[in-house]
Amino acid sequence: MGFTKVTSKVVLAQLRPGAEVLARRGAMLATTGQVSFSPVTAGPGGGGYGGGIASALGRAMQGEAVPLMVAEGTGTVHYGFRGHHVTVVDLDGSEPMSVEADRLLAHDASMASSVVFLGRQGGLRGAVRGAVTGQGLFTTQLSGRGSVALLSHGGTFALQVGGSRQVVVDPQAYVAHTGNLRVDVSASVGWRDAVGRGSGEAVQLRVSGQGTVYVQASEEKL
Amino acid sequence: MAGWRLESPRVLVVDLDGGGGGAVRAATGSMVAYEGDVTFRNAGFGGGGGLRAALKQRVTGESLDLMEVTGRGTVHFAVGAGHVLVVDLAGDVLKAESQSLLALSDPLRTDVTFTGLQGASSGQGLFTTTVSGHGQVALISLGGPPIALRVSPGTPLVVDPDAYIGAVGQLQQSFVSDVSWRNLIGESSGEAFSLRFEGQGVVYLQPEER
Repeated sequence: MGFTKVTSKVVLAQLRPGAEVLARRGAMLATTGQVSFSPVTAGPGGGGYGGGIASALGRAMQGEAVPLMVAEGTGTVHYGFRGHHVTVVDLDGSEPMSVEADRLLAHDASMASSVVFLGRQGGLRGAVRGAVTGQGLFTTQLSGRGSVALLSHGGTFALQVGGSRQVVVDPQAYVAHTGNLRVDVSASVGWRDAVGRGSGEAVQLRVSGQGTVYVQASEEKL
Repeated sequence: MAGWRLESPRVLVVDLDGGGGGAVRAATGSMVAYEGDVTFRNAGFGGGGGLRAALKQRVTGESLDLMEVTGRGTVHFAVGAGHVLVVDLAGDVLKAESQSLLALSDPLRTDVTFTGLQGASSGQGLFTTTVSGHGQVALISLGGPPIALRVSPGTPLVVDPDAYIGAVGQLQQSFVSDVSWRNLIGESSGEAFSLRFEGQGVVYLQPEER
């Protein structure tokens, strides 16, 4: 299973019974074979795609900003979204991935996903982080073995974090991370920023722990 | 000397050794990630080009927002998913659109020069930013990889001002207008104003028109 890159912006998924794919609604470009699409219904009876009530609630609070659909059957599906670059990350199940909800193009349905409210993850700081950085307050967490397709403006590059090696990322350029990482907001707002003569890098995400961060080559949101 | 390399066609990576000569000036807000002990501060009035350049910028409106990046570590720069073009300057002069300038190594000087009166009608500034000295400059090319076109004596080059990002060499720059009765009746070709280069050098263009 997994996604095959067709171009830098289009991925191909092979479907068979037991290997369904969850994808952002409206991202399907073409399909062959016997493939059917259905919206992901929230709730405990949602076919095991969600993560129970908490996740359903998360989705509900998130609004219908990033609705998902499930593709099942036997055949192939091409996915792409608004001409954005796609990065495919294969996870072996040993470490989870956190991704901004609107950066997620598709993932294997076998992976467990849950929507994490940032306020819960990092308390007030988390909520503040979401508000300050303009990122969503909700992050999708994926765990288990499988393949994930990420959306980015201009492609991503991966930065390894580990030991004493800390990485600082621009909040608008942050896409996703894998592993056990701590993401903190560090604001170095000085009087220069107040008078409009700042460096433009006042708010930063400080990433520490053990894992990999994916950063896009742009400061544009999707 | 700072080490420059491209992580991908769209990401410029600069290693800072903490030494005095290794500093870099980059477009404000262009950092996407860094590691190490690095500080970013506004390069001050005139993008670090000195008081005279700052005054000229104030007067001409050719704004150049730069930040000074110093310390020890590795910094990744990117803007708008544009392709990065690194130009080595060995005493040459690079003319650039100020919004196409991504980064420049510290010993380089920036200034503002007058390009001609007709600039006012093309929507492009009357003034252009010049970079001179010894070092490296990174330009950003939006919409895809840049193209470089050679200009030599006897073969002038005419380009779209909206696609122009920079030029190196001994070049005279002038504006050409192609306004005729066709523009009045709405039959224009959409290319009423162009930039004409004569002399010896290279002109860089981006595939996207601003």
